[in-house]
Amino acid sequence: MRDTGEAGDVAGTGDVAGTGDVAGTGDTRDASGMSMRPTWSGTGRTTSLSEMSGLGAPGSGPPLGLPPGAYAAALASLPGVGPGWLAELLANWGPEQAWVRALAGQVAPPRVPAQRGERNAGASGRVSDAARRMDVAGLWQRCLQRGIEVTWFGGQGYPSALASGPAPPGVLFSVGDIGWVERCPVVAVVGTRRCSPEGAATAYELARDLALAGVCVVSGLALGIDGAAHAGALSGFQQAGEVPPAASTVGVAASGVDVVYPRQHAALWRRVASAGAVVSETPPGSPAQPWRFPARNRVIAGLARLVVVVESHTTGGSWHTVDAALRRGVEVAAVPGSVHSPSCAGTNSLLRDGATPVRGAEDVLDALGLCASVGAPQAPPKGAGSPDGLDPIGPVEEKVLVALGWRPLCLEDVVERSGLPVGAVVVALERLEAAGAVVSEEGGWWSRRA
Amino acid sequence: MLATVASATLVGVDGRFVTVEVHVSTGVPSFQVVGLPDASCREARDRARAAVVSSGLTWPQTRLTVNLAPSGVRKAGPGLDLPIALGVLAASGQLKLSSLKGLAFVGELGLDGSLRKVPGVLPLVAAISEAGGGAGAGGPGAAPEVVVVPPDCAVEAGLLGRLEVRTSAHLRELVAALEGRGGWPPLPEAAGEPDDPAPPDLADVKGQALGRQALEVAAAGGHHLLLVGPAGAGKTMLATRLPGLLPELSTEEALEVAKIHSAAGLNVASGALCRRPPFRSPHHSASAVSLVGGGGARLRPGEISCAHNGVLFLDELAEFPGSVLDNLRQPLEEGRVVVCRASATVAFPARFMLVAAMNACRCGADGSPGSCRCPPAARARYVGRISGPLLDRFDLRVRVRCPEVDELLGSSVNVASGEPSLVAARRVEGARERARQRGVRCNAELPAVALSEVAPLSAGARRLLERRLREGRLSARGLDRSRRVALTVADLAGDDAPLREEHVLVALALRAPGILGHDAGEGAHWPTGETQRVRATAT
Repeated sequence: MRDTGEAGDVAGTGDVAGTGDVAGTGDTRDASGMSMRPTWSGTGRTTSLSEMSGLGAPGSGPPLGLPPGAYAAALASLPGVGPGWLAELLANWGPEQAWVRALAGQVAPPRVPAQRGERNAGASGRVSDAARRMDVAGLWQRCLQRGIEVTWFGGQGYPSALASGPAPPGVLFSVGDIGWVERCPVVAVVGTRRCSPEGAATAYELARDLALAGVCVVSGLALGIDGAAHAGALSGFQQAGEVPPAASTVGVAASGVDVVYPRQHAALWRRVASAGAVVSETPPGSPAQPWRFPARNRVIAGLARLVVVVESHTTGGSWHTVDAALRRGVEVAAVPGSVHSPSCAGTNSLLRDGATPVRGAEDVLDALGLCASVGAPQAPPKGAGSPDGLDPIGPVEEKVLVALGWRPLCLEDVVERSGLPVGAVVVALERLEAAGAVVSEEGGWWSRRA
Repeated sequence: MLATVASATLVGVDGRFVTVEVHVSTGVPSFQVVGLPDASCREARDRARAAVVSSGLTWPQTRLTVNLAPSGVRKAGPGLDLPIALGVLAASGQLKLSSLKGLAFVGELGLDGSLRKVPGVLPLVAAISEAGGGAGAGGPGAAPEVVVVPPDCAVEAGLLGRLEVRTSAHLRELVAALEGRGGWPPLPEAAGEPDDPAPPDLADVKGQALGRQALEVAAAGGHHLLLVGPAGAGKTMLATRLPGLLPELSTEEALEVAKIHSAAGLNVASGALCRRPPFRSPHHSASAVSLVGGGGARLRPGEISCAHNGVLFLDELAEFPGSVLDNLRQPLEEGRVVVCRASATVAFPARFMLVAAMNACRCGADGSPGSCRCPPAARARYVGRISGPLLDRFDLRVRVRCPEVDELLGSSVNVASGEPSLVAARRVEGARERARQRGVRCNAELPAVALSEVAPLSAGARRLLERRLREGRLSARGLDRSRRVALTVADLAGDDAPLREEHVLVALALRAPGILGHDAGEGAHWPTGETQRVRATAT
């Protein structure tokens, strides 16, 4: 099992058993929920009507007169509810009927093994208890106040890409316009949180050009590549002034859509929500538990027509996205990187295994079968000349460039490799930076630009 | 009958002249010590009595009162044993009062009558020599011209050179010498040279061009230095070479240092006055009090005062508790630390150069892009232990890299063998001389208002700084600090004003503000220009 990526930070548990069965919750998720539709017999223990606290009998109209979304949200908020079971329930009965059945204790999550039938019966009781305690009106009020829309499997507005794939989320909560994933071709741009500056820059530029070309970029709102991809897409979307070919970006969160995680991305989160959409299958107000990250990654893969991994270590959360994409038959592409860089090891091994190489937005558009020339802007001319009007590339600068190579180096390394005095190197680097031949990154790292 | 004996006691790192008055009167035999003695001082009663009896003299069976004047100052330590014993002998008529005239005494007594070493002899002798005639109404008529100390302290007492130093190993011999019945024993031979080993040489350091330059700039300009790098990169190796680059202390500075070390109970000298700047490197388990000074009845100087006029080296800076480190902020600003306790308030001098070393992250891979295994949050937590204000005090922040194999084995032809410390020290001395002409000891002490006068900028340097300020890569405070460093860089190179672009660029590179900047949060890794623009449109 690979490390769950983001999840490690949340609970400090490090390696959590993949898709479910997290210690402590125990009752929440079907371990194989991704690949296998759970079966539900529909013959749970019948609770006598007299026990049912004066609520409408099964089959009657909506018990409290709320819109169906409220019941879908309530069902998703029940403890011990997995996506497979939820999707099945909603597809078969619709939100209101499913809710009434949950109240009546007629349904139970199917994950308890058959030989422990008694426990299973107990589970249906637990669901009905929880359903009775649930403040559906309050939950719905919270959704309305925060502008959270609720769509469910089989309902209107549910992304068709997810509906046709395996293990669809039962209920999707969203802020913003979830319609972007229907109107535009969708590409997932994902990668490691511990990325190199070039990786972030690549993700940023790739997403920006894709947005300009009318491709909706989906990612996970995490630190590193994900954040850079969202920021790039927003930049492209704003650059184009929202004229039709440009597309916005959709973030898929592991926490509730009103719970910002990671906190550093609060501003980015707001901008994504207002320009595009933030989507999550986690009920509002819930924190990002470790097991939710792999589940989130399956949604990212499910929404996309193509998954581009920009940078990835040999283990990490990106691999969940790749696995989910492969399981769904979604094409996986990767950005090649240096063979020396640990943060490119994962992407390079993907390429060896046959992933489509991506050098820029054109390659992505090609892979999607779209016209590559749409909207992609010309790169700004480089080499504008140094400020003091001198030729930027003299013999010293040439030497510094050679010493720099194509890997980020700190000043000390450049000095050591070039054998030049510190003063000469810093002056040369300043000239080269002004000429656009090198860039300096946070932390004092210098890298060469192609 | 009344006898008075001149002595001194320690308050902080300074001596205070003390007159020991002993009164013998008829009455029930008793022995009282008054005048705010602390526990170890009050115990002098028993030591003095035993020493007198062991020396074959008589302890008077009368009422004895000892007053330690001025009585408002708390007296601590055993240094007053000897004057008390002599006062008793004089007051009881076993010693002529006139024989104590013009003499001062400092020393602890053993029960067998031997004289033992006490801490802080140097400041004590200094206080006695300064007391002169102004010792107050209670002082002895004539100012002391001779000080008698235990043999182990004789060299240290002689460092000052203002008083005649005499010594004696035993109370019996001392009484004999005072009475004129025996001679004074010869002073112990002072070793000709300070006996500390030569500091390690810079020639041993392989590669590390940037680290060397930073070390030299730090030594020349008195700038605080932070070395960041993976374990085994040679951070400590570089730091320990710093004392070899610093200019020798002047006599005054060396005496200040010796006084502090003496008061702290450190070995001060077995020979000449040590003129090498002190180098202190406390372990990161050090407590706040051990660093800044303090303690019980006698307030002791801490490590930062022991590093006065020298270098305080904090290895593994991030492992020091934050609360301990933040105590350094006031001393770094003012050059001294004021320790307040119920018993006393003492100002310890603490004008030191701070040199610190740390890893950039817990895994030690130095946070280089793509190679560090720490999650971003863990990295931010690790460097977040250093508070912003403390980090800001470092004018020089340099990344130290592991030297490459060729450099280590010396097999590469183009790696010049390391320059020895002496050559660099000469350049440092030259730069310090230039600073002295500006009226300060080193450039780090230049006031901000003087910068435009002493460190004018060339047109190119001005354009460069303007660009950095506009891009938000340099703050107003950073500007002044970079300018001081640039001035030091120019001084070292022997260049005259105005500061050129090259000097400023080296200064900016040595100050690398983003060296620990992994915690910058959103946008830290996005292309700089874009981030700026996106942020601008977002707000």
